[in-house]
Amino acid sequence: MSATTTERGGPAGSGVRGTATSSSPARGGAGKPSHSRADTRAGYAFLSPWLLGFGLLTAGPMLMSLYLAFTDYNLFRAPEFVGIENFTALFADTRFLKSAQVTAIYVFIGVPVKLASALAVALLLNAKHRGQGAYRSMFYAPSLIGASVSVAIVWRAMFIDDGVADQVQQFFGLPGGGWVGNPDMTMPMMILLAVWQFGAPMVIFLAGLKQIPAELHEAAAVDGAGPVRRFVSVTVPMLSPVLFFNLLLETIGAFQVFSSAFIISGGTGGPADSTLFYTFYLYIKGFTEFRMGYASAMAWVLVLVVGIITAVLFRTSRAWVHYTGDVR
Amino acid sequence: MVRTRTTARTAAVPITALAVATALTLSACGGGTTASAEAAPVDTDRDIELSLVWWGDDDRASRYEEAVTLFEEKYPNIDVQTQFQAWDDYWTARSTEAAGQTLPDVFQMDLAYIHQYASNNQLLDLSSQMGVNLETGEYDETLLGSGSVNGGQYGIPTSTNTLGMIHHDDLLDELGMEPPKEGLTWDEYDAWIREVSEAGADQDPKVYGGTDYTGTLWLFIQWLLQQGKTAFAEDGTPAFEKSDLVAWVERTQPLRDEGAFYPVERTKQVEPLTGLQVNEAVTELTWDNMTAGYAANAGSDNVSLLPVPTGAEGSQQFWKPSMLLSSSATTQEPDAAAALIDFLVNDPEVGKIFGTSKGVPAVPGQKDAMEVAEGSVDDTIVTYEEDVAERVTADTPIPVEGYGVVEVEFKRLGEELAYGNINAEEFADQWFQSAESNLGGQ
Repeated sequence: MSATTTERGGPAGSGVRGTATSSSPARGGAGKPSHSRADTRAGYAFLSPWLLGFGLLTAGPMLMSLYLAFTDYNLFRAPEFVGIENFTALFADTRFLKSAQVTAIYVFIGVPVKLASALAVALLLNAKHRGQGAYRSMFYAPSLIGASVSVAIVWRAMFIDDGVADQVQQFFGLPGGGWVGNPDMTMPMMILLAVWQFGAPMVIFLAGLKQIPAELHEAAAVDGAGPVRRFVSVTVPMLSPVLFFNLLLETIGAFQVFSSAFIISGGTGGPADSTLFYTFYLYIKGFTEFRMGYASAMAWVLVLVVGIITAVLFRTSRAWVHYTGDVR
Repeated sequence: MVRTRTTARTAAVPITALAVATALTLSACGGGTTASAEAAPVDTDRDIELSLVWWGDDDRASRYEEAVTLFEEKYPNIDVQTQFQAWDDYWTARSTEAAGQTLPDVFQMDLAYIHQYASNNQLLDLSSQMGVNLETGEYDETLLGSGSVNGGQYGIPTSTNTLGMIHHDDLLDELGMEPPKEGLTWDEYDAWIREVSEAGADQDPKVYGGTDYTGTLWLFIQWLLQQGKTAFAEDGTPAFEKSDLVAWVERTQPLRDEGAFYPVERTKQVEPLTGLQVNEAVTELTWDNMTAGYAANAGSDNVSLLPVPTGAEGSQQFWKPSMLLSSSATTQEPDAAAALIDFLVNDPEVGKIFGTSKGVPAVPGQKDAMEVAEGSVDDTIVTYEEDVAERVTADTPIPVEGYGVVEVEFKRLGEELAYGNINAEEFADQWFQSAESNLGGQ
């Protein structure tokens, strides 16, 4: 980082610049005032804490893991290059495929349900009532504590035999039994936990709703549109950029679900691998089986898949996301 | 535009350098270092800080705290920082530390993992400390040998245990049934489980005769020994056939089909406790030192022990060090670490503090110091180990590298089996697949 220090310490002029880019003398005649160069440097100087962190804590380890993905590495011995063996092994691994399936179900069902509930609550909270501020805080609260260990423990307790869920089922005469020990019911339980933490997308929806000009609704109402029609034809299109943003964020987040599943299943991904989420299996491979190369390969497959899904979302967004005012 | 590109390029240089430096730093971590080997009597004139980590529950934690207080009284210059986790979390935390070369100075080690840690140079070879800061004169040779890997002493056993059948007599009384007889065969035990589960079906909650033991690798090994076979070969690979494993899994299938075992749905819900500990299962096959904890959780002292069921070759029970104490290869204080291990395994007061909660103490000095009240759970365990000694005819199966991983896989497959997701063939296939990639230090 000595380069940064020199740049920062030197006078904001061309002297330092000369030493830094002696290889490109032709550049000197570019003719712009030098203070913009100084600004650039100052910019980097101010960025440097972040850059350092990014380099040391994110980019470096990522590069390392990209390398490890092509090796057989057990944490203790030096990595041994094996080419694409890890990647080919992945697709012959039944538990890997199971974890991909579990994660896909969670993402493709959990995210839409969560966004729908977030939007529904946002619509409720957008209406004018007394004490609306208090309601907003209250509905946001689960998200503040939702990711914590204690909630996962409480959640687990709610879904065992004779837990809250079981009692509700019995009250309505439904077949009883806890969900925790039933592999068919753990996924609904995990999705419910995610949906319950609707706070962050809800707040964003609420902000989006506030920005829809009231006159649009008024004009639609004057033209005879009912509430449903106004929602479909005014609210949804006007909200689509926010919807898109939330969809993107929640999808990427859902792919990375880990801690709640870890706690609810007691660190096993069970029962019968029904909560074996992708990141969880990655963790098992890396930190209980010590197969870091394999785990790194899994991590990069995940990056690739999330990247592709994001790209697809962006591509399709042109068809359904409306940006008011200016062109994109 | 031109200028911006130049700036980006000059900025790229330090960033690239940084990335390379990071990569180098990270790879340097994998190198492994060893602490200075020369053992000297522990310093008493400078402040030393040691970390001590174990797996276990609150009960064990308070016992350790008590022992540590005594140690700190004996060595006022040494400060011991303690930490503990439950079994599963424990190994995750340790493997992460191993990767970062920050394993604790002293920590509990298990037979299932010692090979993996030792052969990857994570543990301190305590041989040089023996006779200096660490006394092992009172040890049984074979028992001490269980802590040695490739000629180095990487762990010191604290206590012994052996497999047994814990039975909950309060529950049996409620059902009006007698405890199982001693020396049952496996088939007789299964029949007995069936009988009790039938009798317990109308209780609320239902009471079962036993827990499905198929997914416990140690019990499979015990059963193998009783067939005159061994579990692992010298090179650390399985020494038995796939058909042996299939036979083991199939022999309990009828009980699963009939629902005679404690149901897996309940097992998952009461975790980390077990059926017996929540007063819903009458017997469980496990390590004898678990009895104390089981009795405490079940809230009854009326819990006792019988030998494991027998096979064609008799009992073939074996001693297993219930746990060992190891020290990190990277410890800065090998002398003090050895002194702490010495204190924990040899001091009679410590023996009194722990009782049989970690198994029967390995060193006679500690065992004799225990104040065992007649009829107490401690008494049950000590008596059991004395009685069962004649049944101990097998050597401790050698710990193989990767055992911990395949043991977890065995348990997971047992669970899949209980849910009816796989059959015996698939169980065996999948386990052998895991064994192939994890056993034998590949």
